[in-house]
Amino acid sequence: MEKITLHQLLPAVFAGMEDESSVAQSQVWLRNIEFARGCRTLISADSGTGKSSLVSFIYGRRNDYMGHIQFDGNDIKQLGVNNWCSLRAITLSLLPQELSLFPELTALENVEIKNRLTHHRSTKWIADAFESLGIADRANVAAGRMSVGQQQRVAIIRALCQPFDFLLLDEPVSHLDNTNNTIAAALIEREATACGAGVIVTSVGNHLKMDYKQTLRL
Amino acid sequence: MKKDIVWRLLRRNLSIWQTAGYALANFAGLAIVMCAVKFYCDVRSGNDGDDPYVTRDYLVISKSVGTIGGLLGNDNSFSPEDIAELSGQPWCKRIGAFTSADFNVSASLAMGGRGLSTNLFLESVPDEFFDVKPSQWSFTPGQDTTVPIILSKDYLTLYNYGFAASAGLPQISESVVSMVPIRLSVSGNGKQLWLRGKVVGFSSRLNTIAVPTDFITWANSEFGEGNPANPGRLILETTSPGNPDVDKFLADHKYEVAGDKGASGKAAYFLSVTTAVVAGIGIVICLLAFAILMLSIWLLLQKNRDKLHSLMLLGYTPAAIRRYYFVIVGGVNLLIFIAATAVTLCVAPLWRVPLEAIGLDGASSLTAIAVGAAVTVAVTAINFSAIAKKVRSAFPG
Repeated sequence: MEKITLHQLLPAVFAGMEDESSVAQSQVWLRNIEFARGCRTLISADSGTGKSSLVSFIYGRRNDYMGHIQFDGNDIKQLGVNNWCSLRAITLSLLPQELSLFPELTALENVEIKNRLTHHRSTKWIADAFESLGIADRANVAAGRMSVGQQQRVAIIRALCQPFDFLLLDEPVSHLDNTNNTIAAALIEREATACGAGVIVTSVGNHLKMDYKQTLRL
Repeated sequence: MKKDIVWRLLRRNLSIWQTAGYALANFAGLAIVMCAVKFYCDVRSGNDGDDPYVTRDYLVISKSVGTIGGLLGNDNSFSPEDIAELSGQPWCKRIGAFTSADFNVSASLAMGGRGLSTNLFLESVPDEFFDVKPSQWSFTPGQDTTVPIILSKDYLTLYNYGFAASAGLPQISESVVSMVPIRLSVSGNGKQLWLRGKVVGFSSRLNTIAVPTDFITWANSEFGEGNPANPGRLILETTSPGNPDVDKFLADHKYEVAGDKGASGKAAYFLSVTTAVVAGIGIVICLLAFAILMLSIWLLLQKNRDKLHSLMLLGYTPAAIRRYYFVIVGGVNLLIFIAATAVTLCVAPLWRVPLEAIGLDGASSLTAIAVGAAVTVAVTAINFSAIAKKVRSAFPG
């Protein structure tokens, strides 16, 4: 997939609020925006402005919006379940804000459950990622018993366990310190570059330390 | 599958007690249905034999001969309208007419050194109503000089135990009768002809002396004197032996049934009703078990809804997810079917002995197994479609 286009997009809950400052001053809502493959885009926002909604719309989790989202010119509302399933396995990767880890599975299993679907990473690659993010000793602990910061790092690794053209990261480092933020950013940059992929990151304050080409204010 | 992470994830909320409860209930229901079907087949197995015990598929009927009417020579034959009305009844599968000989027949035979000569009557019935199918059962006018004859078993019994004993004649077996040469004199319409007759079989269904239809048709045209050809007796096959509607219809029209097979007919009817009730109870239990299973699946999928949603976000397809539930449900249903089949096969010998004592040798278990398989397949198919629907609903898009 080469580009994601937003046309006059607005969450349905914002209907009727077009003239209010939160929508009128937004650089995303009710605009025409294109994310090209290879982009590094930061979408910064205050809480409650619809940041997670935007990510959910693009990932096909929700469709309660007005306007259009297009993948390479095709409206995504036309996509069927199987299209979405294959997109999510090889084209689009998402790190959701709530992480969606399975608390009863270990950190390693949470990563493997993705990798067994895509067969994208070697065991060594996964072990190295755990190591570099400083959670190698937690690999066999149930995700539910890890801190949010540790869970966030597991979710970052999991998001990278697939080929992708676009990587959507919804507040990926909100609970990480500076050091881990830098390490995670480097890992993400390396893998995104390897895939030639675009990265779209949202943040309410603690930005993932990447070299952004474009910053949009929601 | 033990190491499969998704399997471990989805299995977590699976209640072993609910599954066991379903399995037990459905097993009981299925076993009852299959045993009922097996029992019914076993008891009905006499149907195709010579001596049906609880069946009255075939009825030979005639009109009652009234005292006055008989003396006045009223017509006691069945008109085409009567036959049409009978064949229009829902319990009437097919109907055949007895065609009587419209000429004089006398037979003579030599047996044990003593000659025996008698006037005879001959009739014919369409071949499909015979319970015996002898190989020589055909007659081609002009070519054959031997007329094959099927005798009622009752006649032989009557001869052996009634006539032969008192007249000092030897008792004879069926095979001996078949070897006795009979000379038939056929006359009428100013002509007379000698033919050979040969008894080729004995029928317990038809109370007559039967010859092939081809012979009667030919002989009636040759020797007949043009008397009305309406049949005096009919044979009809019913679809529901012992059905009270049949008795009521026959009584209302003052038709008589040859022989008194009413009791066995009622037994057959009672058997059908009892089997239906037992199988019905089995079906109800199956339905209840089915409801339990559907509820369990519903509950399980509802509890796992968040997990399904998360798997969906990871790119798992509905087909990949429902496969796990298909394996569980399909496996359980298959086990239930195997267990119910085993029980049916083990229990059937219990009634085999008493049934064999009254001459029923039992039927194949295939029908019962086929019915069980059909129920299992139907239940599994509905389970699968419900699972597919429910899993799909956890996947937006």
